[in-house]
Amino acid sequence: MRLWVAIKIAIHDRSSTAGAVLGVVAIIFLVGQQLSVFFGLLNLMSVLPDHSNADVWIMSKNIRNSDSGNLISGAYIDRVIGISEVEWIEPLLIGSALFRRGDGSFEPVRVIGLRRPRIAGGPWSFHSSDEKVLLDLEAVVVDKLDLSKLGHPSLDEIGEIGEKRVRIGAIATGARGFQGTLLFAPLEKVREISKTPPGRYSALLVKLDEKSDKESVIKKIKDILPNCSVFSSQELSSLSRKYYITNTGIGGSFLFSTSIAIMIGVVIITLTMYTSVLSRKKDFALIRAIGGRKRDIFIIVVGEVFFITFIGIFVGFLLLSTLLSYTVNSQIPSYLPLKVAPLLALGAFIVSLIGSLFALKVALATDPASVFH
Amino acid sequence: MSILKLENITRDFYDGRQIRRVLHSTNLAFIPGELVVLSGPSGSGKTTLLSIMGLVLKPSEGKIYLNDKDLTQINDNEAAMLRLKYYGFIFQQHMLIEGLSVIDNILLAYAVQGSKVTAQQRQKAYGLLEKLGLKDTAHMQPLSLSGGMKQRVSIARALIKDPLILLCDEPTASLDAENGITVMKILKKSALEDQRIVLVVSHDSRVFPFSDRLIKIENGKIVSDTKENYQ
Ligand SMILES: Nc1ncnc2c1ncn2[C@@H]1O[C@H](COP(=O)(O)OP(=O)(O)OP(=O)(O)O)[C@@H](O)[C@H]1O
Ligand SMILES: [Mg+2]
Repeated sequence: MRLWVAIKIAIHDRSSTAGAVLGVVAIIFLVGQQLSVFFGLLNLMSVLPDHSNADVWIMSKNIRNSDSGNLISGAYIDRVIGISEVEWIEPLLIGSALFRRGDGSFEPVRVIGLRRPRIAGGPWSFHSSDEKVLLDLEAVVVDKLDLSKLGHPSLDEIGEIGEKRVRIGAIATGARGFQGTLLFAPLEKVREISKTPPGRYSALLVKLDEKSDKESVIKKIKDILPNCSVFSSQELSSLSRKYYITNTGIGGSFLFSTSIAIMIGVVIITLTMYTSVLSRKKDFALIRAIGGRKRDIFIIVVGEVFFITFIGIFVGFLLLSTLLSYTVNSQIPSYLPLKVAPLLALGAFIVSLIGSLFALKVALATDPASVFH
Repeated sequence: MSILKLENITRDFYDGRQIRRVLHSTNLAFIPGELVVLSGPSGSGKTTLLSIMGLVLKPSEGKIYLNDKDLTQINDNEAAMLRLKYYGFIFQQHMLIEGLSVIDNILLAYAVQGSKVTAQQRQKAYGLLEKLGLKDTAHMQPLSLSGGMKQRVSIARALIKDPLILLCDEPTASLDAENGITVMKILKKSALEDQRIVLVVSHDSRVFPFSDRLIKIENGKIVSDTKENYQ
């Protein structure tokens, strides 16, 4: 019956309850929205290693992210292919150039060159056409969301990158990078565009035998190539993410705005719970007088907080999922991993309990003797 | 026979500047079956005495016994348990919880420590409401009741557990004459027929005719304690 009392009181005390619910909604919605942008950006930061379909990345020594490194020698390909657990190895050549828009203006782009016919490390999902277009030397693949930056070229439109003729061969989805606009093209074309000498590559992607022990193979490769960085795709992915989080201020700004959102929530919850408990001190005194212990008061107040938080979480996620459904395929990077949702809910619970501590203290301190005054 | 006994009870309060004795050494014993009225001027210590008897306020000195069990040293939880088991309280204001229906307010007296309300208890609550002329109010909100009705609901809440001890602080003060008399009749009946210890604090002369015993207090001292016989 104590929880029943808690819910009844909360429903009766509509304005306070609505206020505290608002606090929880603010936390869920604002923090959730921040998180989704954050995770959306994280995806961009490591887009290449995350989708390369390779197990191991070989790049130049001392790289700090997957987007910048020195060129390495193609001679390494033959050395690595000698390892029996290696299924295949494919080079990647990344070049920077200017894309000439239809109106004559330019957009800086990064072109990822993929070797035919395997086209490993390339685009992985498509809006129109598919990766096979890259078998054609002229073809480039552009992400759908980057089309506007490139002046809305249509499929099969002929354009120019670094003064070399290209054709928009396919339109990909989800292939956006953190640093500028990504395009995919055949490796030879990128070599032409970036004027890279033959036999030099940006990275080598290695696919291992399913049954092999990845750790030990990586170690083998490291031993063979002491002058290179050798990472598993996951390692390179987190390396890149860490690099961008710490070096671009995104981490800091995310932490800042999230803390503000949490603080706003805590303040709202604290104030509303506090005033609502204050206004009901008489009730608590009565409950104590007729035989309620401190722990019964505790259960009623915490029950109320739970009730409020449940509603707040429900409404908050409703709003958040509405927002996310609108932003999911938009320019705003937004992605909320499913496993983050329960953590966010748990966080909101903890925060609203913290916000209720003050109120709880007042409620527990209620003197049963005050019922007579 | 159950006896509630106070032995050399005193109570001091700090009033911001000094410690003041608001209740001087008090010796009293209460037995079931009589309605005791405690009367005295404002500030004389009536509520203080009642609170000590009700185990919501600790005496500064002295001992309090229920059936020879010394209750002076009990802790918070034990006091709550005893109040739940043996006590009923009625206040000047009805002290009903807004948001809970009439029936829930009454049943809270059973369930305040978390026990489940049985169908039998619920039935008893309905019965009590009917007896008190509140048959149709069970599912109403306290806000929608008149002052007299609210006070009767609070009496139902106090009586539902058949308390051995019923403590009432100015139960008629916020009621008109008619309602005041109704309430006193209920309390009188409860003391006599159900064999309870009933103490009514009041300076309302209308309650005196209902008393079996009248205790007068002034400046924290009992000045008279007489058996009454109005009948
Ligand atoms: N918690 C407290 N702190 C300090 N002083 C108190 C406290 N409670 C009561 N007093 C003082 O003790 C004295 C007796 O108070 P009490 O409430 O017992 O009087 P009362 O007889 O019930 O008066 P009334 O008829 O006005 O209700 C008063 O002077 C009051 O100011
Ligand atoms: Mg008083």
